Amino acid sequence: MAKILIFPSNSLILSDLVARFGHEPLTLMRVIRRKITEVGIDSPPINVTPEDPKRGLKYAAVDVPSGVRGRMALLDPLIEEAEAAIIVHEADYSFGCMGCARTNELVKYIVRNKDIPRLELAYPTNDDEAREFVQKIRDFCESLTHKAEVPA
Amino acid sequence: MTRKIRIAHLACGSEYSGIQKEIEHAVAAVNAEIVYPEVDTDTIKDAVREWGLEVASPDLQLMIARAKSIVEGGFPVDAVFITTCFRCAEGAITRSELRRYIHERANLPVISYSFTERTTAETLLTRMEALVTTALRRTLLAREKQTGLTAGIDSGSTTTKAVVMRDNEIIGVGWVDTTEVLKSAELAYTTALKMAGVNKSEIQALGTTGYGRLLVGEAMKAALVQEELTVNSKGAVYLAEKQKGPATVIDIGGMDNKAISVMDGIPGSFTMGGICAGASGRFLDMTARRLGVDISELGPLASKGDHNRVTMNSYCIVFGTQSLVNALSLGASKEDVASAACYSVAEQVFDQQLQELEIVEPVIMVGGTSLISGLVEAMQDLLRTKVVVPKYSQYIGAVGSALLASGFVE
Amino acid sequence: MVSDEITKMVVLADSSPILPSELALRAYELSTDAVVKETCFGLIVTGSEKAVNETIEELRKLDPSGIFVKDRGFPPGDSRRCRAVRGGGARPGFHQLEKESAILPSISYGLETIDDPVDAKERKTRDKLKIDRLIEIIEEQSKEDVNG
Repeated sequence: MAKILIFPSNSLILSDLVARFGHEPLTLMRVIRRKITEVGIDSPPINVTPEDPKRGLKYAAVDVPSGVRGRMALLDPLIEEAEAAIIVHEADYSFGCMGCARTNELVKYIVRNKDIPRLELAYPTNDDEAREFVQKIRDFCESLTHKAEVPA
Repeated sequence: MTRKIRIAHLACGSEYSGIQKEIEHAVAAVNAEIVYPEVDTDTIKDAVREWGLEVASPDLQLMIARAKSIVEGGFPVDAVFITTCFRCAEGAITRSELRRYIHERANLPVISYSFTERTTAETLLTRMEALVTTALRRTLLAREKQTGLTAGIDSGSTTTKAVVMRDNEIIGVGWVDTTEVLKSAELAYTTALKMAGVNKSEIQALGTTGYGRLLVGEAMKAALVQEELTVNSKGAVYLAEKQKGPATVIDIGGMDNKAISVMDGIPGSFTMGGICAGASGRFLDMTARRLGVDISELGPLASKGDHNRVTMNSYCIVFGTQSLVNALSLGASKEDVASAACYSVAEQVFDQQLQELEIVEPVIMVGGTSLISGLVEAMQDLLRTKVVVPKYSQYIGAVGSALLASGFVE
Repeated sequence: MVSDEITKMVVLADSSPILPSELALRAYELSTDAVVKETCFGLIVTGSEKAVNETIEELRKLDPSGIFVKDRGFPPGDSRRCRAVRGGGARPGFHQLEKESAILPSISYGLETIDDPVDAKERKTRDKLKIDRLIEIIEEQSKEDVNG
């Protein structure tokens, strides 16, 4: 089972399909869950504190807006753990954690520069495209399973 | 108890900068509540297209749709607070255009702010206070003329000012250094009353503003106790006779600086700086003392000099003054040194505060430092626009208070 | 709240023959330790990871290709996210979920027909017109204009 970074990282469809095809989707929701149950921190709504944008300096300099760096801090564990990635284009309705275009550009750039298997595709707009979409994700997931089975 | 003021928060990035809690604290402190306008998911794209600004970030698109929900959908709010990340270009464009759109189309008070992760509730509080005041006291703020016999006291960190006004005329002024807050206020007020030739008991309403406003207001039973952003905005456009439309008000004070973007006499967005003495009137005070001239002579002296002839290594009140002293020892003229000091203050305010603000004409300089002509000239040079300094500009807070207090005269 | 609890959302595709109430009923019948809450999208299931996953595994059987599952950071009704507490409109994540839900029937169809061959016709591309073709068009248009 591979840990697959999905983009948008809060996508219902992607997290469902990845889990359905036997892998672990790396989602923002799990990061948020950890955040909001962190003991001793009270910074509603999602317990992001001014420390997070500072942690985001790992990915972007101080002249990059705090909102970008704060979001990067949330995405950091996903990027670090990713063994594969599925990036969906034209996901223009990704609000909240994925609501900043600059952050999204940076995340995709960083993922593309990681030496991991990657699938990039567009969101479907009709049934035929959806079939192709589902097939591609299944095939990608299967290829990761086979890879894992091949001894090094 | 009256109902809470509903402040719509249109934001991108505040939750991810760790400052949402600070915003909520500031809102709670002024007895208001944050609300998020209803938006139908399917209409977000259409709202953005209709509004016409093609921003890439979905959260900015959501801000636009929420703004339209207020303006066109009639989502009930009393005021709007717009925030985006500092240094984000598309955020800044959206923020400033939304502010204009909501102000013009929904006639609601709007305040905008660009934050960093260091933004605190204290920083936001004055803004919230101004926003809530604007929402609650719309009729009062619409006042363009002073009526009756009223007075205003501006209890500042360095100086305390008082004015007495009768039927839209300033008839008495008082100006003293702030020592003990109440004593200084009393002294300035007595001076103004004496000049006006009226007794305290005749004053129909008193307004207070500035750092000591609460203390002075309570002691003197003021009808109006108001933060200086609202008062100075109103006072500046009143004195400059620019009450309608946009204006920019710059107030370089003894302890902090304010740059306010005003619309119809109401503050819209503003920057307040108060960390560095090198960007304050204090720096000029020290320079005047070092040059052995009165502060009132510093301006004309600077006007005759050329700042380019003195190398300033720092804006700092310590190291910058060192540069001035070095220049003098190397034979620089007093005029050039005075000019360099004025330029240094203006440049720091320009670099660190005015960059965050949309500077629209007329630009009005107020406060004690607006009397230092060299400083005004330096600011004009940096902004490449004419700066208006109205008569009585040094009494801005007191005039604004007296004007607004007249709203309480029966 | 105990920190090892997890929450998952179970979302029904509009095309699913299963009703949200049926889904809820089945969840209640399962009597695992998970707590179930009905929503307009389907269900929110909270509890230990084991209980939540078991519940969901069973629920999926009702309509494998029409039931979708997503992790949720917040437990149901958390005041930090709750719409009733935080005045007025929805939180950003709601809009995203609503948008994604709209294409679930297609995804559901995709899953049902996953082994069918994909129609090889390419998606329309937005390549720029070749300059030679543009010149031809201009010339044709000019001729028409002259003759017309």
